[in-house]
Parts: sequence; structure tokens; C-alpha cells
Amino acid sequence: MGSGVRSGTRIRLDGVGRRYGLRGRWVLRGVDLDVAPGALVRVEGANGTGKSTLLRLLAGLDAPTEGRIVGRPRTAYVPERFPAALPFTASGYLTHLGAVHGLTRAAAARAADEWLERLGAAGHARTPLSELSKGGSQKVAVAQALLAAPELLVLDEAWTGLDAASREELERAVAERTADGAAAVFVDHDPRRLAGMTDATYTVADGALTRRTAAEPAWPDGPRVAVEARGPAGARPPAEAVRLSVSVAERADGAFRLDVTGPRSDAVLRALLGARPPWHVVSVRPREEGRR
Amino acid sequence: MTTALLRYQAALLVRSQRWLPPLILYVAALGIGVQGGQPVLDSLGWTAAALLPVTAWLVRVCATNEPAAARGCAGAAAGPGRAHLASLLVALGAAVLLGAAAVGVVLAVSEPAGTDRRTPVPVGPASGAGLSAVLACALVGAAVGALTTWPVLRSRGRAVPALLLGALLALVTTGSPARAAVDALVRGSQEGTVPAPLLPLAPAALFMAAATALSCALTTRRSS
Repeated sequence: MGSGVRSGTRIRLDGVGRRYGLRGRWVLRGVDLDVAPGALVRVEGANGTGKSTLLRLLAGLDAPTEGRIVGRPRTAYVPERFPAALPFTASGYLTHLGAVHGLTRAAAARAADEWLERLGAAGHARTPLSELSKGGSQKVAVAQALLAAPELLVLDEAWTGLDAASREELERAVAERTADGAAAVFVDHDPRRLAGMTDATYTVADGALTRRTAAEPAWPDGPRVAVEARGPAGARPPAEAVRLSVSVAERADGAFRLDVTGPRSDAVLRALLGARPPWHVVSVRPREEGRR
Repeated sequence: MTTALLRYQAALLVRSQRWLPPLILYVAALGIGVQGGQPVLDSLGWTAAALLPVTAWLVRVCATNEPAAARGCAGAAAGPGRAHLASLLVALGAAVLLGAAAVGVVLAVSEPAGTDRRTPVPVGPASGAGLSAVLACALVGAAVGALTTWPVLRSRGRAVPALLLGALLALVTTGSPARAAVDALVRGSQEGTVPAPLLPLAPAALFMAAATALSCALTTRRSS
């Protein structure tokens, strides 16, 4: 299974309502939501408004009481808290889950080690889950969702409990997945989470979902990176790199300057270097923060 | 992907050590009801009957082995219904293995004769009859377990009494495939003939399939 999911299935909620029990109150009602491949969607709302229910519907863990859900991409879900009361080591659990996600056992074991490493938990690979700290367990929950390169990533406060380095790594991983054509829907209490990358923000209130229409800068504040690259004479930068960039400018000497948000910089570099023929990256420099 | 789910659930069961209490219950029940030198078919009847509540308990163990968050992770990857199905199948498989091992022990220690101790009972057909009764009881027990655990019954306070009552009813109610299978063995022992209790297998399998379908369908309709 490759990581290419450009033709990924989309998922659509059509007039979806959800209540628990025959006479329970409606937690959500009349929800329409279309999540296209590559989309990064943020869901906001006060506690107890049904954000988690919406994410469970998207992850296929809840069935709508009314309305319907069309399309089922290969899905991975990160729960808010992952109590690791399971009789496995971290890498043992991840290998099982990787196989459940559709990898071969060998590939699953490899991916498990890779993701634990990326999240700074390689030293815990052989640690029983029951002995992991809260942050350590959360890394395992994050790793299980990422290791099979899903087409739809559903993150319910996945950053909670992670240390600063792995919070950043998870942002980068989400950026990579969406750059790769996978969709991601997330809830997080930190308004700066993945700022500048989200394609849409929705608010859940009183059981209804509304798209936030307040004028929001498409690329708000946040760390930026300036990438200078040179391609074959007369060529425009690869479409993928342009799509991921805040702005693209051609310089007098024929090189291009791409302004990129921090989390997307790796994906942009990959697009440049992976192009045929590859682009030459002249320089990569952090830009001072500031409004456009 | 289904193989991966079965492996995952089986590993969960084996490593959780929650299989130990039902196993002890079964060994104790066999210790009480099976003694060396007794008529083989009587002992096989007891072996099959005792497996029913044990299977229901194993299903409960497997269906509740994962915390809700972990269930969500596997459920999102494979579909919650399929993930739950795997846990039910692993419990049933474990119960059948346990029952088959018990049949082997019973055949080894029992007297190959009817209740009158004179009419000989051939071991080959007796083992077939024992295995099919064990299978029927395991299927009915798994159905009882599936109907009395998450997601059908979520509160422990109601689920455990319901499981016990369900297992008892499945053993004593006329028309229950488990009772029919056990009765056939006991009658065979009295009459000195080996029954072929294959007939109860069909309704037992049907009951299990219906209970499984209901239980798996409810995984996405109930709160965790």
C-alpha cells in the first residue's frame, strides 16, 4: 500500500442527525459536511456541543440516526485520551493495529518503529503500554493512526498530552498527509493549531454545524519559511508546491521564491525535489513573523 | 484485514489473562461432574452443558477487553461491526478448543458403556457425538454472551445477571438447541445407543448468527 491517495474517496454527510436512545435529545441535527481529499478541516465548539460525536460519525464509529454518510475513505482515528490498559508493548500494539489498517505484518512492524522514532518514543517501543506515561500513550494513539497512511484522519484533541516536540511532529505529519491528498478533520483547543493551513473551520453549536464565515486571513500569522528554488529554464514550479505555498514569486534571475507556512515546508521541499526533472533548492530560510 | 483483526483479538485474549476465571470455572465444573469410570455419554453431556456458561463468559471477556478509546482506534480502521465480530469469533473459537480438549479428557477417563454399565458404547461415534454437542452448546453460549454484553447491554449491573439467567434458560428451556444436544447424549447413555446430535447444530448456529448480527449492528448505534 503506497502513500499516494490522490484519488482518495471523499466523505459526505447529508442531513445527518444523531441522538442516543429513542427519546434522547439530538446531539447533532441537519449536519451537511463535504470533506474532499486533501482538505484540512477544523471543528470548533464549546464542550459538550457534539464535536466528538461529529468526529465519531466521520470516523464511522457512530451511525447517523437520520440522514446518511456517503463514502468511506480508509480511516484512522485518534481519540482524546488513550488509556493504554492493553496487554501489549507499544510496538506490539502498533504492529497489530498496522495489520488491522491493512499493512503486512512486516510493513506494520517497520512503520511502528518509524513512527515511534518520529514522535520521539523509540525508546519506549518495548515498554508495556500499561507502564507508559499519559504523553507516551498519546504518542502510541497518534502513531497507530498515521502508520498506514490513511485517506481520512480524524483527530479528537490528539495534541493533548503530547510534549512540544511531538506536537510539532504531529502538525507536520498532518501537513504531509493532506499534501499527499488525504483529508484530515480535527478538534483542538489551541486556536493556533495548524493555523494557516486549514481549508475550512466549522463551529458546532446547539446541535448544528455552521461554516465559520468571519473574515479570516487565509494564511494568518505563524512561522513562515522562504524557499528559493531553481528549475529547468522557463519552467514553473510544480503545481503541488504552488498549491501548498502562501505565495510564489519569480525573481529576475529566473529562480522562484515560495513563501510557505512552517508545517508545510517539508511537503513543499518534497514536491520540488521529487519533480521530474527535480528542482534545485537554492536556499531555505525562516522568515520573521508578521502580517502580509 | 479480517485475519489481522482475529490475531489482534486473540492476542488480546491470551495476554489479558482474563480467560483464566472462565477456565477455572470449567475445570471445576468438570471436576464435579466428570469422574473416572463413569458412563462416557453422561460425562460428555455434562462437558457440553458446562461449556455453555463458560462460552458466554468468554464472549463477555473478549467483547469488553478493549477500553473504549482503543476500540475506537481499531473500529475506525476496520469498521466497528467487523472489529466486534472478530472478538465474538475469537471467544467462540477459544470455547470450542476448550470443549474439544475436555471431550478428549472425558473419552480417556470414562467407561465406554451405557448407564447400565453393560451395553458397550463405541468410542469413535461417542467422540463425534460429544464434539457436536460441545459445538452446539458453544454456539448457544456465544449467542447468550453476545446478547448480554456490550453493545447490547452496557451496564455491568444488568449484564452479569442477564448472562447468568440467559445461560440457565438456554440449558433448561425445552426447545433450546443446547438442551436438545445434551438430552440426546443422556438419553443415548440410558438406551445404550450413540446419538448423532447434529440436528441441534443448525438452530444453534442460526441463533448465534442472529445474536451476532444484532450485536454487531448495535456497535455504531449505542454510545460507547
